[in-house]
Parts: sequence; C-alpha cells; structure tokens
Amino acid sequence: MYRLGLRLVARSGREALLRLILTSLAVAIGVAILLAVLAEFHGFQAVSNRPSWESTSGTAVSTTRATRGEELWNYSETIYKGRFIEQLDVAALGPRAPRIPGLARLPGAGQFYASPALARLLKTVPAGELGDRFRGHQVGLLGDAALSGPDELAIVVGYSPSQLAALPATQVVNRIASAPQLMGTTNLYRLGFGIATLIILFPLLSMINTATRLAATRREERLAALRLVGATPRQVNVVASVDAVVGASAGVVIGVFLFLAIRPLLESISFSGVRFFGYTVTPTLWGYTAIVVMVPLLAALSSLVSLRRVWITPLGVSRRTTPARPGWWRILPMLVGVPLFIDPLVSHPGKPDGTLAFLGLFLIMAGLVLGGSWLTMQISRILARTARGPSGLLAARRLADNPKGAFRTSAGLVLAVFAGSFIACVVPAFAAAQTQGAAAKLTNVLRVPLAMGPFSGLDPKTGAQLLSHLDSQTGVTVVPLYVNTAGSADSIVSCSAIRALPALGSCDRGVEAVQANFVDLLNTDNPIFFNKDLPAVTHSSTPTDESFSGLYLSGLLVKTTGPDTLERVRTYLTDFEAAATESSLGPASRKGGPNAFQMLAVQPQTFGEVAAIRNNDVDNVERVVLAIVALILLLAGCSLAVGVAGSLLDRKRPFTLLRLSGTSLKTLTHVVLLESIVPLVATTVVAAGVAISIAEPPLRALFAANLGPHQSFASAAHPDLGYYMTMLGGLALSALVVLAAMPLLNRITKPDHARFE
Amino acid sequence: MTTPTFGREASPPIAEGRCLVKSFGRTPALNGASVAVPPGEILAVMGPSGSGKSTLLHCLAGIFTPDAGEVYFDGRRIDHLGETRRSEMRRRDFGFVFQFGQLVPELTVEDNIALPLLLARLPRRDAYAAARSWLPRLGLDGLGARRTGEVSGGEAQRVALARALVHHPKVVFADEPTGSLDSLTGEQVMELLVSITREEGTTVILVTHEARVAAYADRMVLVRDGHVTVADPPAAPSKPADGFTVGVGPQPASLGR
Repeated sequence: MYRLGLRLVARSGREALLRLILTSLAVAIGVAILLAVLAEFHGFQAVSNRPSWESTSGTAVSTTRATRGEELWNYSETIYKGRFIEQLDVAALGPRAPRIPGLARLPGAGQFYASPALARLLKTVPAGELGDRFRGHQVGLLGDAALSGPDELAIVVGYSPSQLAALPATQVVNRIASAPQLMGTTNLYRLGFGIATLIILFPLLSMINTATRLAATRREERLAALRLVGATPRQVNVVASVDAVVGASAGVVIGVFLFLAIRPLLESISFSGVRFFGYTVTPTLWGYTAIVVMVPLLAALSSLVSLRRVWITPLGVSRRTTPARPGWWRILPMLVGVPLFIDPLVSHPGKPDGTLAFLGLFLIMAGLVLGGSWLTMQISRILARTARGPSGLLAARRLADNPKGAFRTSAGLVLAVFAGSFIACVVPAFAAAQTQGAAAKLTNVLRVPLAMGPFSGLDPKTGAQLLSHLDSQTGVTVVPLYVNTAGSADSIVSCSAIRALPALGSCDRGVEAVQANFVDLLNTDNPIFFNKDLPAVTHSSTPTDESFSGLYLSGLLVKTTGPDTLERVRTYLTDFEAAATESSLGPASRKGGPNAFQMLAVQPQTFGEVAAIRNNDVDNVERVVLAIVALILLLAGCSLAVGVAGSLLDRKRPFTLLRLSGTSLKTLTHVVLLESIVPLVATTVVAAGVAISIAEPPLRALFAANLGPHQSFASAAHPDLGYYMTMLGGLALSALVVLAAMPLLNRITKPDHARFE
Repeated sequence: MTTPTFGREASPPIAEGRCLVKSFGRTPALNGASVAVPPGEILAVMGPSGSGKSTLLHCLAGIFTPDAGEVYFDGRRIDHLGETRRSEMRRRDFGFVFQFGQLVPELTVEDNIALPLLLARLPRRDAYAAARSWLPRLGLDGLGARRTGEVSGGEAQRVALARALVHHPKVVFADEPTGSLDSLTGEQVMELLVSITREEGTTVILVTHEARVAAYADRMVLVRDGHVTVADPPAAPSKPADGFTVGVGPQPASLGR
C-alpha cells in the first residue's frame, strides 16, 4: 500500500506535481515561520535565564580585615543618549576574589574592561561626552557571558581598595549572584511569546491543513475509486497519508533551508528591544526534531480527518450531505462580551473590575472566531440579493453552500487583526498622553535630584561650585531648587530662574521666590504623572523672601540645547560627583553622609529619557503584536493562495463546462476573486471595527485613574494613517495573491483541454 | 414477502435482497425492494431515473447499508458486516463497471487492472502478469503503459471491464456501463461483458435504462418507486451494422434466454 501511495504521488502527472509543489511550499513557509518563532524564543530564554551578576549584593564595608576571597563592589548605571550603561567599579581584596562571568581576571586599579559595543562608542565619541566618566584605560573586552546581547553597553572598572571603599554605596562581596534576574517584564514577555506562538500556530496549522487537503475533492474521487475495487478504509488511509506525508516532508526540508536562509536576518532584529547573540537565535536540536517529526505527522492526521467522507462510501463525495448552516448563536459571545468589557471600565473608571473586563475581552475574541462563519453566510446572502451579474450570484451561492469552509482561511486572521487594531489604537494614544501637554516642553531638561529620603541635599559650598560651572557652559540653563529650611517637602525656587523654563509655571508679579513641590517631577519614573504635576509654580504657590545663600540644593533642572551638550553636562556631573566625594566625603569626613545624587544608582535623566524608557516597553509590546499580525497576514496570504489553487483544481470540471458553454474567463475570475476576498474583507472590517470601538474605554479608565477628570488625553483613541494603509495594503495584497492564481484558472479550464476521465 | 426468483428456484441465489428500504434524508430510494439472482445469471435492472435501481445495486454490492431489510451473498447475510469485511468481500468476490470515475486516471491501464490484485496483496509480478493477460482479450494491446486519462471512452470502459474481471469475481455489478458511450462502442463493451462473464460463469447484475442494453440479459426486473416488479423478457439485441470484431478475445456466446 505504501508503494501504491508513493506511486500515486510520483506518477500522477502535472496536476499532482503542481499540488505537491503548492503543498510543499505552503508547508515550507509555515515551517520556516515556526522555526523562526522558536529561535527567537530560545534567544529570549537565553537572555532571561542568564545568570545575573548585576543582582549581586554584599555587606557594608567594615574596618575588619578582609578575606582573600572577597572584593569591593559598586554597581551603578549611567546613561548615554538614552541608552543605559552598566558600570561595575570593583577592587579585589585578595587573589581569590570572585569574578563575574565573561571576565578572565579582575581589572587592576586604573584599568577597565568594556563590552564590545561600549568599546566602539568610546573610540568614536569625544571623551568629554562619555569617556571621562570612566577612570583608567581599557585592557580588554567583556565576554558574552557577562552580557545579555551584542549591543549591551557595560564596563567593569578597576579601583584600589582604598579608592573604592571611599565611594558611597560600595559593598563587600564574596560571591557573585548566579540566579537569573526576573524583571517585571520577563514573565510578561514569556507569556507574550506563549500567546504569540499559539496565535501563530492556529493559522499555521490551518494553512498546513489546507495545503495537505489541497484539491481534496479530486483526491477523494481517486480514493473512492480504490474503495470501489475493495480497498479497505485502512488501505485508503495509508495511501492518503503517504500523499500528505510526502508533501509535508518535502515542505519541512524546504522550510528548514528557508529558515537557515533568513536566520542572519533574525539575528539582526529583536522583538523585545534587545538584540540577542546570534548563536542563541536557534530552534535547538529539539526544536528541529519536533518540527521534522510533528509536521508530517500533523499532515497525515489532518489528511485522515479530512477523509472521513470516503470512510462512509466508496461512491466518494457524490453523496455528501450539506454541512449544517452556522447559527446566529455564534455571535452571542461577542454580543455578551462587548458590554461585559466596557461596563466595568465606564462605570468605575478609577477602579474597574479587571476580571470582568478580561472575561469580556475573551468572549469578544471567541465571538469573532465563532461568528465568522455566520457573518460569511450573511454576507453571501446580501451578495446574492444584490448581485447584478452571474459572477456575484455564483460566488454568493458558493459562499452560502459552505460558509464555514470559506471562513476557515480567515479565522486566524480575525484574532490577529483584532489584536493589532486594539494595540494600534491604544499605543499612539498612550504615547501621545505622555508626550503632549506641558511635559513635552521639558523633553531635553535633565532632572538632577540631590535630596531624597534621608539625604539632605548638596551643601551650599559644593552647590555653589556646581552651579557656577554649569552656568559657565554655553547652551546650558539651570533652574536650582533649594531645600526648604521650614522642613516642608516643598523646594524653594527663584522666579527669575523659572522664567527660563515656562513649562514649570510662573510667579505672580513682584514675587521673587516661591515654595513649590518638585518631588515627583524630580523623582518619578512614570511620565504620566509629569502633566499632573505641571505647572509646579502657580499663583497659589506660597511666596518666600528667604535668601538662597546658605541653602542646601535639593535638586537641579538643567536645560541643554542639544544631545552633545547634554552628554557633556552628564559627564561633568559624574566627574564632579567623584571629585566632590574624594575631597569632602572621604572616610575621614563622612559624618555628614553622602547626598542623594551620590547614592543614586542611576545617573540623572531628562524628562524625555524617562518617557522614552516607559515608551520603550509599550513600543516593544506594539512591535511584538504588529510582528505577529504581519506574520499572520503572511500566513493568511499563503493560506489564501493555497486555498484558491486547491478550489480551482477541485472545480476544474464545472468551471471548464461553464467556459465551454460560453462563460467568459473574466466572469470566472470575478467569481473566484469575490468568493475569496469577500470573507476576508468582511472579517477584517468587523474585527478591526470591534477593536477600534472598544479601545477608548480602557484608555479613559486608565487616564481617569491616574490623572483625575481634569485631564483629557484619551481624546484620540484611534489608529493613525499608517495603520489604515497597512490594512488596505494587506487586503490589496490578498487580492493580488488571488489574481496570481488566475493563470492557473485559464490553463485548467481551456476548452481545448476539456477532457474528463 | 416472497423474493421473485423467476424460474431458477433449483439453484440458491448468489445475491439476494429482501424487503430493502433505503432513504437519503427525506428522499426514499427503496421501499421494500426484493430481488434474488441465481449464479451465472445476467440480470438487467431497469427503471426510470430516480426509481432506485442504482441504490438497489449499491445495496446488493455492500456499498450501501439498507435502512431495513436483508442482503445475502452466497447464502451469507452481508448487510450486518463491518466496513472492512464488506471491502474485503468487494475486492475478492465482486467486480464493478460504472459509467464514470471508477478508474484512477493517474495510474496506467496495467496499474488499474492490477489494482484489485495488488490490494489483495498478491505478489507484484503475479498481479501484473494477470493484468497483462487481459489486455489482448479486451482489445487493449499496446495500451498497457498509457494512463487511463489518455485513452478513449470505449477503451476506458474495457479497462474497467478487465479490472472488474481480473480476480475472477463471482458477481459483476455494472451500473450504466454504456451510459457515456456511443451506441456502437456501447454494444462492443456489452458483447465483451456478456461473452466473458458467460465464459467465466460470472453472475452479472446490470443497471440500465436502455432496452438495447437490457436485451443482453437473461432476465429483467423493473424498479419503480422503490419496488421491484417483474418485467417482460428482454428483446434480443440487434447486431451492429458493421459487424463486430475486437482483438483476439472470445466472441459473444449465445444469449441463452
């Protein structure tokens, strides 16, 4: 039987060869995509499971004698043009001091190891903007084990024990942390990858299923002929499985080569914002094995499931029963889901019931997938009523005959379009809320907090030095904030200084200084609060006539004219901090304690950088979702092409007869185009429409919860022009895919080829 | 109800249907049809379109399971058998010649003829030797390597005939075997069918709506509204105007009514 099956595959002429090629190509594209997803996931896992030496913690520096297996450790982060640089200052206390992974030996005093990306930057950027932040000279590169990706900026700087012990926040470490760092977003990404894999898997399997069932009707006729001469159902299954497995196996082989061809491209992009090391972007041997085994197996299974009709009768498909029509109950979950999702958000915008909203969202998505076939049937009825020519009528009848089958190729697309549209609505509105308003005018303003928690601020003498240097720089404007001697959390700020940054507000006429709250503006990492706190100075701010001399600095707001100036200021602040520490806050004079600036692990950031960090997370989510949508669009396109080709091969006889009886090729083209595109357009429009219409309430709820009713940023929860262009482009591409199958229609229905076996 | 056997009471029927009822959805096809066919007989089943004659043939051949009634083959009840057993029976004991679609167009003439033997796991060499031995008998010399999609309608029916007979079945079921052929080619096919089955002693159950085709049968029954009724004896077929010679196969034997 296996031999007969192979014989049927190998010697079945051009049409069967075409079917085999189409099946193999469709499966190949699916396999390549699946391998790419697995490879990216493995790259992501490699990063998130990496031992996180950055999380190492130790004990406070003590005067007791250190052991030989210890070192002094001071970890901090600095920023260069919006990118974080991990900086580890380290001093070995003995020959067995522990080393971080990727480092052959600890740097001596005055030496440093940089990551390859940082080393490149240090060579190209003027020292005043970056290099001066790190003391010493480079003696080597950090190995991959120390880094999460090839673009990571990191540096390990060597100090003498006495130098490093003098720095605040230095600790004694005898063991490097080896556990992975579980960030808030790690599990989110992991979940996202899981969901994405599932969302992609659904249309992928659907396409492989469509591909292996290509021209199923004609194949079933052959198998029915075998049944007639006494082939048992089991023997027929073997023949059909051999056919499916050969096509799928060829597809797997082509797919693996296709994946290997696009792998360099995969290494150069990253969906989660951080590029992975190339060698981690691999599906692994297990992934390859699973694909190589599972895809042909699934193909065989899918082929067997589709052959249930031949099980029933050796007369094949001639006596098949019409499939049951989809009922209206299919859209019920969506009808229930929409109010369930919106009501909690509208009625309790400050504190909506998340469980109900999520249940609503799930029901909406289930309703879209379930209700698609019902919708297709309704559309076909409308088409049948309104059709003016024979092509509309033929297409409508065909759709009405099997709406479930017609919708099947679009089922995966619906969820993708829904998710993509929802994200395309929410993300721009979210980003706009963060960048518009008064905060937008502070984008290039550097926040330098100097007083926080127990730290009293920068002493008047050092503060005066700092201000004097900054004031002398061109392109730099400083607004100093002073500690309020009355003990209030409000800072004191000069009204003349405020005029340099009008976004901060303005004083009443004649007032020279006011008390105002800058705590959140200086410290919060959530940009959504910036606008809540602006303007900081209003006519209700309490005037004060206190003299600034003798006051501690509680913070600075520094406006710069460009990115290079900004980095110069940041480098100067780092240098100034180190110098100030050594001169005035060394071990001998530590009674006053360090100020907040010195204790901060992260260097000062601009308002724009704070927003960018938060936006980056949102952008990553958007990028991942849009990548999934793009992949699913690609899959849907392939599915469509395969489905159209299959349906043409299946209907060779009726289409040829129609052509013989005078129906023009143009009419037949219209029929195929209509019956393929109509379900696609209908489901896309409905899915996008539902997503756009339900996107605004959650945004309103979010902003109402965080900003209060006086702010109104949720005004424009609709996608931008690019989104609409993408959707239109996708549909146009689908139409082109269908049109690309038309030469096949012409060839197989040529009257001079009309011959039926 | 007594099953009509029409004068062949001496030998027990090789195929028999008793009170067969079969519907497709709400459409009744058989409504208590009974028929018995003695071994070696050529029975013509006639009737207008939609009368249920093909359904009767499919029930007797074990393709359809009747909703009610009993089907016997060679004294054994077969309507209760499972799909696999009925498939095996079709492969071993039955041969089929239908109007359309019974050949696999991707396979060659030889492949198609050898198919029942290959399915029965006969050694490949033996199966093809047997298939080749039928080619001259049916005037298919030189066509063995052709795909069935590449031969004429009459040749395709002769291939189907060879395939139906290659494993020496006890019953050949023929459903409108000449329906897609012109009258001359149709008669050639019928003469071959009749002559070879008589030579082999094979029973033939022939469904047709053409009196000329039914005239080749020993006996004729009429299916009307799902019932089987006795029909007049078939008239002798007229001889083709230009005579009839096909290959080196046996010439039609006496119709023996």
